[in-house]
Amino acid sequence: MALFPLTSNFEGDFVLQLVAVDSENTMDEVAAAAAVHSVGRRVRARPDCIMRVRRQDATEFLPRTMKVSESGLKPTETIEIIWEPARH
Amino acid sequence: MAVLNRMDWYDLARNTNWTPSYVTEDELFPPKLAGEFGLPLSAWESYDEPYKQTYPEYVKVQRDKDAGAYSVKAALERSRIFENADPGWKSVMKAHYGAIARGEYAAASAEARMMRFSKAPGMRNMSTLGCLDEIRHGQMQLYFPHEHVAKDRQMDWAFKAYDTNEWAMIAARHFFDDIMMTRDAISVSIMLTFSFETGFTNMQFLGLAADAAEAGDHTFANLISSIQTDESRHAQIGGPALKVLIENGHKAEAQKRVDIAVWGAWKLFSVLTGPIMDYYTPLEHRKQSFKEFMEEWIVAQFERALTDMGLDLPWYWDIFLKDISQTHHGMHLGSYFWRPTLWWNPAAGVTPDERAWLEAKYPGWNDTWGQCWDVFIDNVVDGRMDKAYPETLPYVCNMCQLPILGTPGKGWNVKDYPLEYNGRLYHFGSEVDRWVFEQEPERYAGHLSIVDRFLAGMIQPMDLGGALQYMNLAPGEIGDDAHNYAWAEVYRALRASKKAS
Repeated sequence: MALFPLTSNFEGDFVLQLVAVDSENTMDEVAAAAAVHSVGRRVRARPDCIMRVRRQDATEFLPRTMKVSESGLKPTETIEIIWEPARH
Repeated sequence: MAVLNRMDWYDLARNTNWTPSYVTEDELFPPKLAGEFGLPLSAWESYDEPYKQTYPEYVKVQRDKDAGAYSVKAALERSRIFENADPGWKSVMKAHYGAIARGEYAAASAEARMMRFSKAPGMRNMSTLGCLDEIRHGQMQLYFPHEHVAKDRQMDWAFKAYDTNEWAMIAARHFFDDIMMTRDAISVSIMLTFSFETGFTNMQFLGLAADAAEAGDHTFANLISSIQTDESRHAQIGGPALKVLIENGHKAEAQKRVDIAVWGAWKLFSVLTGPIMDYYTPLEHRKQSFKEFMEEWIVAQFERALTDMGLDLPWYWDIFLKDISQTHHGMHLGSYFWRPTLWWNPAAGVTPDERAWLEAKYPGWNDTWGQCWDVFIDNVVDGRMDKAYPETLPYVCNMCQLPILGTPGKGWNVKDYPLEYNGRLYHFGSEVDRWVFEQEPERYAGHLSIVDRFLAGMIQPMDLGGALQYMNLAPGEIGDDAHNYAWAEVYRALRASKKAS
């Protein structure tokens, strides 16, 4: 359990933002924490999608349940939060 | 006794390159301050300033300029221009004075470095006058806003801004410290006068004077024009120095200094001038878009200045040309969204008419920046003001100290340009910002951005209140919408008429 700063690059938004998460947060929780600062402020919510996390320039998303402490992310590293169509 | 013509004695009088006998040349002109190019005094004697002026001539002309500007101010002091001006115009004045006035004073010390340490006699003469210019600019741009301090507390930032940790001031100081406060005399001449003043400021002052006249603020227009005439003279200090360097085989060093300074100047103008021209200036007073202004006055003229000099266009020129239609939209949205952290009240500039203008000038604006503004406007119209303000910090670039941003919406291309150096992860807003850092990492590595300071616990408490306190923004100074959101009424009316139909 430790405060862990990340840099959020949220799909559709215009600026990188500082997001404080916990090292034990999952990637879904990280995405939700990042969304607080973008969705409903400058990015419209997309109820048909879920939010996924990936490293900058990566094509693969990090597993949704993976914890920050397991991800190898460095403090302040930039993550991209991408809308993924929800499977029905 | 007949007085000699100026040109009969000018060269002899200003050519004071004595041959030192008690000290070495390096002791008289320490390379760290004079420039580490290995060129002897004799090489610098070929420096030929294009604008020659003697001290008596200078004093006479400057006295007349001062009399002109101050008399217009005195005549218009009771005109209530300030009280009646559009709030967007007041914001232009506040942003300008705060960002510029004390920087001009600082520039006097940079000019003084050239005055004392340049090996070129002509440069020493020119920068003696340049130093006096900068003192005059500092004094005028503190005196002129002072009459408004009693009416509007944000005007106090004309004096105060430079001493604060407000984020835009950190950015401005970082740039000016880099190009003029911590460089040798020759580098100052290239980076401050040739790159910043010839490339950007000279033209910026012309544009701003025209905008002021258009807004009916003749005091400000006269002040700015008066300053610009000095700028156009002392901005010419760097050109002949570049010539000497190129002739003596130092083109690469000269080019690098130009490339570094031009990029930093561009970033600063993208946050200061871009929003003013395309968003703050009332629609009916807009003559050109920022992009058109840049293309006509900066790009074309600077390209010519560079090639005339025998220099190349900076390696990043294609990136720069693309950015002039994009970056400032993000800088505006960023500074506006984080408006409590400004010492002026930004105008949103996004009514339907203004958006139509933006779309015409920047095709695709509605699908990109417009998408972010749509969400913001809905929040204002619906009274969800808690969502119309930020709750965290934007991540800023470790070089320009400005937010790392890109195009949003359908053109989403936001990207970080990271670099790990000595175990620390740095973040940059562009490939060019990162390149500047890589040219001399030790020069920049120790600096802490506003985000670095926040993460280091230097901002307490770690919330907006703590951040505002750290930035020295007191109640009454904190920025908010210039028009108190009156522009949102048109959207309310549109929504009501849509519902009715």
